[in-house]
Amino acid sequence: MDLEMVKYLAELGKLKFTDEELEKVGEDMTSIIELMDKVKEIDVVYDPYLDNKNIFLNDLREDKNAKSLDTQKLLSNAKNQQNCFVVPKVVE
Amino acid sequence: MDMKNISLAKLREALDQRKLSARESTEFYLKRIKEYDADLECYITVTEEKALEQADKAQKRIDEGKASALTGIPMAIKDNICTEGILTTCSSKMLEDFVPPYNATVMQKLEDENIVMLGKVSLDEFAMGGSTQTSAFKKTKNPYDKSRVPGGSSGGSASAVGADLCAAALGSDTGGSIRQPSSFCGVVGLKPTYSRVSRYGLVAFASSLDQIGPLARSSRDCAVILNSICGFDMHDGTSSRREVPDFTAKIGQNIKGLKIALPKEFYEEGIDDEVRKCVLKAADDLKAMGTTIVPCSMPSLKFAIPAYYLISSAEACSNLSRYDGIKYGHRSTVGESYEDLIKNSRSEGFGDEVKRRILLGNYALSSGYYDAYYGKAMALKQLIRKEYNDIFEQCDVVLTPTAPTTAYKVHENISDPVKMYQADICTVTVNIAGLPAVSTPCGYDKQGLPIGMSIIGKQFDEQTVIQVADAYEASFERALPKL
Repeated sequence: MDLEMVKYLAELGKLKFTDEELEKVGEDMTSIIELMDKVKEIDVVYDPYLDNKNIFLNDLREDKNAKSLDTQKLLSNAKNQQNCFVVPKVVE
Repeated sequence: MDMKNISLAKLREALDQRKLSARESTEFYLKRIKEYDADLECYITVTEEKALEQADKAQKRIDEGKASALTGIPMAIKDNICTEGILTTCSSKMLEDFVPPYNATVMQKLEDENIVMLGKVSLDEFAMGGSTQTSAFKKTKNPYDKSRVPGGSSGGSASAVGADLCAAALGSDTGGSIRQPSSFCGVVGLKPTYSRVSRYGLVAFASSLDQIGPLARSSRDCAVILNSICGFDMHDGTSSRREVPDFTAKIGQNIKGLKIALPKEFYEEGIDDEVRKCVLKAADDLKAMGTTIVPCSMPSLKFAIPAYYLISSAEACSNLSRYDGIKYGHRSTVGESYEDLIKNSRSEGFGDEVKRRILLGNYALSSGYYDAYYGKAMALKQLIRKEYNDIFEQCDVVLTPTAPTTAYKVHENISDPVKMYQADICTVTVNIAGLPAVSTPCGYDKQGLPIGMSIIGKQFDEQTVIQVADAYEASFERALPKL
């Protein structure tokens, strides 16, 4: 896999690599994609209607009032907080 | 009384008949953890104080005559299952100090039964791997040979059960992560049908494949635990509303007349000779018990590894996009902008294998590659399901090796991702097809390392899987590890 592609995928995944890491990751990804290329040897087409019979993705629950988790508890794992989640400034 | 290698049934009896207190049984395991876990490295967190507190509460319930199946049973929990107020790291620097504000549904169910939680056990980082060596914290070892891996990703759970550092454990299985370590550590692991057990509070890896299940010393023990953790949960939109049977109901029933399929592709090239012979010998033993062995074929197996890795990585790269350093998880102190914060937090927090999966998932989903990779993998998923359905029209269960080899050395495979991925060949189709399966020990290789076989069932037919595994276990003597 060429380094431009690795950089593009890293950007999509919001990851940073040093130049040295990029080389190694590129090599690993080349051999991984070679393994994945096996799927090109078979001619099959996905049937979107088939899955819906077996999967319960639309099994939605009724809307009901319920107690939510405690705000302080939810904030407790944030490293930077002032009674809310704090992010770097995004607008000028 | 002798607590070594004790079954849940015997432990239950001892607790109920007051031959043993819940505190004594808890102390037995805590003592063993102190003695052996420095070498085995199963536990990331030992919750000693809480365990003893829970033991006393359990004792009160037992004394009141209100004990349920798991009251007072000391268990280990895989560290990707959220435990309220207790560190849940997923073996990742990303979640090094994450303390969940809520319990996973399975954890709540176990707490409602007053189990004793001994602690949280290690796994491959974010459950991605088959060796527990990608853990950022505890790189667990195999109780049969500490220079070898326990398998993974539920390696901490399997090693802890194998080494008697808990009575039973919970793990999770996305592509074999309960069954393969069970095979390597000589214990029994059950992956339930997809949707049988709620995934709420299980740190998500690949949501269409992930499933929580038990690891224990027998299929009977696994059935008892499954009874407690399964069922519909409004917090998991994919959890099944089907009525839940008693999973122990068919235990002890004669297996005579059952048909067991042996798909030839699982016994061909790439499977270690000793493993193949051992599982085929087990097939002979099952035949001698009155079952019929049916040779069959699963031609799609040769595509299973890429199909699995494309689907699971595509889902993983989406699931892992939540780690941005803001609400929870590692937050980088380097960089000024919002973009820098996210990129630096993720790059510092995730390990190499997790990063590879994110890249692969993004590749499979990218425009120009989507149809060729992700679309094809989804088509293969349907083909694999169809081939299983065809087999199940003729047969009751399928028998395969659980892993192509026995436990390998700690540093083997770890630097070669392709080799590592290919080692999942025997287990991934079960997740792709959403089926239940048990891995149970069926022998030992020349070096004394355990070999496991998998009994795979029809969707929602855990009962037959457990019945067959139990029938085999009744005449199989486990060789326990010498620590």
